Amino acid sequence: MEINVELLLGTKVRDVDGEEVGRIEEFRVERDDKSCVVEAYLIGASAVIQRLSAWTLVRPIERLLNTRKIYTVYRIPWEDMDLSDPTHPRLRTAKRDLRHAK
Amino acid sequence: MDLIRDVLDKKLVDREDCPMGRVDGLVMQLGEHSQPRITHIEIGGQTLWMRLHPVFARLAVKLGRAWGPKRDGSVRIPWSRVITTGKQVKLDVEAKETGAIDWEIWIARHIIERIPGGGEEEEE
Amino acid sequence: MKKFMQIALGIVTSVGGFLEIGSVTTAAQAGATFGYKLLWAVLLGTICLIFLVEMSGRFSAVSKHTIVDATRERFGFPFFAIVLVGMVLVAFMVLVAELGGIGLSLQILTGLGFPWWAVPVSFVVWLLMWKGTFDLIENGVSLLGLVTICFVVAAVKLHPDWHAAAGGLLPSLEGDQKAKYGFIAVSILGASISPYLMYFYSSGAIEDKWDVSYIPINRVIAVFGMSFGGFLSMAVLITAALALKPYGIDIEKFEQAALLMTTALPKWGFFLFAVSMLFACLGAALEISLAISYFFAQGFGWNWSENLTPSKDSRFCLTYTIIILIAAVPLVFGIDPIKVTMISMALTAATLPLAIVPFLFLMNDPIYLGEHRNGWISNSVVAIIILISFVLAVISIPLQIIGG
Repeated sequence: MEINVELLLGTKVRDVDGEEVGRIEEFRVERDDKSCVVEAYLIGASAVIQRLSAWTLVRPIERLLNTRKIYTVYRIPWEDMDLSDPTHPRLRTAKRDLRHAK
Repeated sequence: MDLIRDVLDKKLVDREDCPMGRVDGLVMQLGEHSQPRITHIEIGGQTLWMRLHPVFARLAVKLGRAWGPKRDGSVRIPWSRVITTGKQVKLDVEAKETGAIDWEIWIARHIIERIPGGGEEEEE
Repeated sequence: MKKFMQIALGIVTSVGGFLEIGSVTTAAQAGATFGYKLLWAVLLGTICLIFLVEMSGRFSAVSKHTIVDATRERFGFPFFAIVLVGMVLVAFMVLVAELGGIGLSLQILTGLGFPWWAVPVSFVVWLLMWKGTFDLIENGVSLLGLVTICFVVAAVKLHPDWHAAAGGLLPSLEGDQKAKYGFIAVSILGASISPYLMYFYSSGAIEDKWDVSYIPINRVIAVFGMSFGGFLSMAVLITAALALKPYGIDIEKFEQAALLMTTALPKWGFFLFAVSMLFACLGAALEISLAISYFFAQGFGWNWSENLTPSKDSRFCLTYTIIILIAAVPLVFGIDPIKVTMISMALTAATLPLAIVPFLFLMNDPIYLGEHRNGWISNSVVAIIILISFVLAVISIPLQIIGG
């Protein structure tokens, strides 16, 4: 099956129990000479900060507000994402089992 | 590498560093139990406008059929042709042969070169 | 010597971009109605523009990308499309106003109504873009625009109370006519902080092949060029305050604005006003046409450069051909360029956040700028400009309706 990556961007993702997890904001890939494979999907509003390379703006604001973290982002390995229905992506795990990405 | 940040919407150049548009889309191949692979870069109005709404994509297709180089659909370039990524994406292709600059060539031949001063002259 | 010439020309170019029908009309209205009380708006607009222009030049010199390139690449096509529509629509209205300004200047000089000049003027603008290079447009026309120094001469000849004028550099709340005061203040800021200037300047840095070594030159050009332009706007305001306000002349027509020069320069004032506006609006029309075409070309990844023959960047050339053609149409039908100017200035103010907010992100992007990204001073200034732009966005349309 073929999917256009740019059309997956911003799509809501639910976990195996139907609970909303977040939106797909980035695709982490591994590239060699001739191919490019998807390693993981980044889900969560703060993956947008990563995409905008905006940490240099956000971190000073975090320090100013004296908060440790004001963001959430999950790193979903490729094997845990079910894209059989690209308009309604689902995880193969539960949200409570997810860990925040670094 | 992050696909959206580092590849999507980036400028494309061919092996001679000739501009050939932007990465308007990326095609991912999904297998039943295999790791998803990025197989193609897409360039073209249909792919681009689809990101806003299918209505715009359909209009782009209609315009492409009625006018211009009459290309059906977007241009697809295999990912294996990617040489480097970074501030721009360099491809191991020749721009003219891919169809990516068909509109540029068509408008040059059918409109611009018909206006005095628009054709091949010594560049400043 | 070469770098000195580049600085000198850059300053001159910046003047050409600053002074145009919007800034002259709004400054003249401000002076005619409120005396010196709105000088602070010109000063504020100038300071904001200095920072924005310096950042635009620095961004392109370091990253070798334009702001439009980076907006598409960082924020994606859907967001870029929103910015495109907003910026292009407003810039197009300003283009109509500038072409109209050239037509009105010719109307003053020849007596022939501006609708008759719409097509010939548009043709000349198009021809300069078709045959000219970036250097010709940037420097040649801007050098002609130096005739606008006559506004400074006029202001000095009228012997203003400099102490009272200095008082106008501090914001004050007007007693009566609050809505009109607010509207003109917003319009002055909209005329000064024009996003198309940022896009044009950023593209110009690429056209001129700037690199990191140009950062100091860029700073000098931004500071002195924009200051000089702001200084000229202030001269227009002061002249209007002395020449028009005492007689209660409110500027509703372009010809009335010409009167601000005749008090100080009875013999040549009318002629100098017309010629000044002609060259200032011509420079602005060329810059805006280029800015709109750059926006499309860079955003969609087409070839672009004013230094290429048209067949080498056919879509870019077709874009400016079409927009100049369409911009002539309302003028042929006699739509008042002054009204278009005032509306477009208010709309520019209303759409500022679309341009400035993404810009803040780009100026802090380590991938594009590395060690040359914004420090805390520049970021603070941009944050203040964003705040101002959101305030303007909210109040400009209501003020346009009530006070315009």
